[in-house]
Amino acid sequence: MGYTIASPRLGIVGDVYDPVDGINVEALIEGGFIKSTIKSTKSDKPNKDTNEEN
Amino acid sequence: MSNSTYLSNPVVTINSVDMTDQCSSAVFTRMIESLESTSFGQTNRSYVGGLENSTLTVTMYNSFSASETYATLKNLVGTQVTVKIKPTSAATSATNPESTLTAAYLESLPIVNGQLGALDVIDITFTGGAYSVAVA
Repeated sequence: MGYTIASPRLGIVGDVYDPVDGINVEALIEGGFIKSTIKSTKSDKPNKDTNEEN
Repeated sequence: MSNSTYLSNPVVTINSVDMTDQCSSAVFTRMIESLESTSFGQTNRSYVGGLENSTLTVTMYNSFSASETYATLKNLVGTQVTVKIKPTSAATSATNPESTLTAAYLESLPIVNGQLGALDVIDITFTGGAYSVAVA
């Protein structure tokens, strides 16, 4: 999985970030320091409820 | 012969994030636990080295803004993390060695340390982990 830098505290914003062993990648994502380059395949649209009662 | 000194201005990195501008104090201590090996017949206590248990204690200004103290630390409590420190911001070298604790443990994180008329300042300590030093 690839990551790009999102905060100057980590390096140049936009550069590829290659985490080394011992780095908590989830914490960096949660903190907004890096972004995953893998786009979600799930649609942002909510699923239609086909069981609506009229 | 003059003595050698330097102005304290360390670079502190926590989980790859440069937190230098939020730190006002940093103490890195290498510690190897002592195990007593004194035996009958000796007239003084003697010790041998046990497990290494080094620590990095950092005093930081607390901030809840994006990419600041809280954002950096909030998900690290109770986990192992890599922390680094070197004496100055100059390039890493034999005269500016970068010390690293890999898989150091952050046991606690003060969320708020509020006092009337004072900045919110917190102390955190990373304990244990494997010590290494880079000189290039």
